[in-house]
Amino acid sequence: MKYLPLVWSGIWRKPGRTVLIFLQVAVALLLFGVLQGLKTGIEHAVNAARADLLIVHSRLSLIMEGLPSSLLEPIRALPGVRVAIPVELFICHYQKPEQGVLSVALTPDKDWTTAFTFAIPAQDLAAFAKSRTAALVLETTARKFGWKIGDRIPLICRTAQKTGSPNWTFDMVGTFTDSDFGGGGDKILMNFAYYDEARATAKGTVNHFNVSVTDPNLAVPVADAIDHLSANSSHETKTESIRELAQQQVQQIGDFDFLIRAVVSAVLAALLFAIATMMAQSVRERTSELAVLKTIGFTDRALFLLILGEALAVCILAAAVGLGGATAALPIAARFVTGLSMPRITLVIGLGISVLVALISAAVPAIAAARLRVATALAER
Amino acid sequence: MKFLRQSAALLRLNLGGLSARGGSVLTILVGVTCTVGVLVSMLAMGTGAHQQLVGYARDDTVVVTSRGSGGLDSSVSRDEAAAVADLPGIATGSDGKPLIGHNAIVVIEGHRRGTGARVFFPLIGASPTVQTAMRPDMHFTDGRMLQPGLHELVASNSCVRTFTGFELGARRAVRGIDWTVVGHYDQGDSMQCLVLADVETLMTVFGRNTFTEVIVRLKNPGDFDAFRAALEANPALHLQVKRERDSAEERFKGFKALLNFAAYFVGAIMALGATLGSVNSLYSIVDARRRELATLRAIGFGSGAIVVVTLVESMLLALPGALLGAAVAWLFFHGMAVSPFGVSFRLDVTPRLAAIGIAWALVMGLIGGLLPAERAARVPITTALRAT
Repeated sequence: MKYLPLVWSGIWRKPGRTVLIFLQVAVALLLFGVLQGLKTGIEHAVNAARADLLIVHSRLSLIMEGLPSSLLEPIRALPGVRVAIPVELFICHYQKPEQGVLSVALTPDKDWTTAFTFAIPAQDLAAFAKSRTAALVLETTARKFGWKIGDRIPLICRTAQKTGSPNWTFDMVGTFTDSDFGGGGDKILMNFAYYDEARATAKGTVNHFNVSVTDPNLAVPVADAIDHLSANSSHETKTESIRELAQQQVQQIGDFDFLIRAVVSAVLAALLFAIATMMAQSVRERTSELAVLKTIGFTDRALFLLILGEALAVCILAAAVGLGGATAALPIAARFVTGLSMPRITLVIGLGISVLVALISAAVPAIAAARLRVATALAER
Repeated sequence: MKFLRQSAALLRLNLGGLSARGGSVLTILVGVTCTVGVLVSMLAMGTGAHQQLVGYARDDTVVVTSRGSGGLDSSVSRDEAAAVADLPGIATGSDGKPLIGHNAIVVIEGHRRGTGARVFFPLIGASPTVQTAMRPDMHFTDGRMLQPGLHELVASNSCVRTFTGFELGARRAVRGIDWTVVGHYDQGDSMQCLVLADVETLMTVFGRNTFTEVIVRLKNPGDFDAFRAALEANPALHLQVKRERDSAEERFKGFKALLNFAAYFVGAIMALGATLGSVNSLYSIVDARRRELATLRAIGFGSGAIVVVTLVESMLLALPGALLGAAVAWLFFHGMAVSPFGVSFRLDVTPRLAAIGIAWALVMGLIGGLLPAERAARVPITTALRAT
């Protein structure tokens, strides 16, 4: 502890240099934190996705092909199925084509929310079930467009009404939040009955069914049983949990792991070089000062630790700043993944890396300091 | 003239003395190499993807879709498709028939080899005869073209490499019906997985009565405006027309923006780090020259020349790293096959990207040299000379 002031004055011997090294380490770990945090954070989010919430969709495609609504009753009759809700997705926009809003039409049957990832206040839930033209709006969407409860919302949709008009209006009765992986886009929930009655084409089909099970352990057998219902028909289904869907989404991202590793190693290689050179130079410049310390009784070991301590202090503090910045920046960089936060393991690895960088880059200069011969060092002056 | 002479002399002096400062020079070299290497490799993803996704497009080919549609949601009725054939400027094939292809696109699932991961990809219903006439660069490596009216598929070779179930003779169930794979083909240097079926058969199986798009070959690219004017003048047609290239560019836009954002974001942060490192190195180089600089000032060298020379030196120091970084990117990553977001392509390190990398490095050198140059110009003559 008593060496702390000495380490501190060593660090500030050349403030300009220290600040530059500090910034360099901070920037490197900021980049590491954002990239690695994104990767690990997505993995965590996937594992947190519910495995007991099943989506029944066409085997041909996730959203392009519909299913006959007649499948609903057989699915509901299966043992282990808690609720099964028909869902239709259609694309609308508000005022401008750039302001896209996804409309999710569903039947608000008893306990329907167990088959979705939405969180809805109780009174909004009740109001939604009561009116045919009621709509629940994603909280961020309502804020973005300035919609309030009680507003009539006009949307222009790709699915035309019977009258041929693409204009639909909804009464906003409440808001909701969505914890689904990748569920960040603008979204409203509407009543399937209103939609099915008003739409001009494709009546009697639905996009997919959302199914919740009575016991999470039943998810796999229930999924198999549902697919068995339509096996070898012209509308075969594929039933998957939203965790499986999230996993597939991540696999689609594909080769980015390799890229992240390559970038992170390049950053660290450059960093190691820069710090090692600076530390070596710093020790060289201080030869005579270090010799004086030895003369007044500092051991080789103490000098070795002193130099290492300087490097460690700068690197760890800088890493903390860089990783702090990354933690703040991550939600911005990952707006498309809801609920993504900096995984603790990434912070720990980041700090570990900074310690390693400090130790490796300071090792040679520290050994040089420890082996310093007082007589020669002082004679050079 | 004096300024230039002084600068030239100084530059020779400075560069000659660099060999004594290996550590600092290496720091700059490694920092710039890593930054430029990463930037160029990441930008190479953008050019590679562009080459793959837009490179196939021809200037004389146009795509007709329903008005306001953005791709697979388009639907063109048979009446409308028939009316398109009467528009002006359409080329005819060797058999005298107009070169018009009617496509219906559906999405089916496939499974990756090895991992078994499920991927969705388009199954394109096309008219086989027109397809062969319009895509002369399509050639079969195995098997034959599909026959109209039969449940047959042909797949590009990249499907066979990437997914299971595309071997010759393999049967795939689509809509409860078995389809047989009868041919494998290559088309130019495309790495995309494309599966073709007979358009009429596909539409029957899927119970559809509209096409997704109509592809038209024009007599020459200049006929586009006349073709579009005629199309838009017909009130019965709710259609829009785009050049194949524009339509491909439009679909590619979002993906390109994502790749380029990633490249420049990472490149900028790495450049920041490397610049900080080179500022440090240059400071120590300048500090080591204090007496030299003071002597020069004392014998009449101007501080302007010192500033300019330090900046030039800083940029020259960044140059080898930039060349090395571009070379590393080319050596290790050029031609590497990647498939992010389900799109397969090869990284393409072009001279233009190398130039961007080098420009990036020179700017880093310039910015990194500013503060050290200012310090070099302000060396106080008397104290610096007196110091030992």
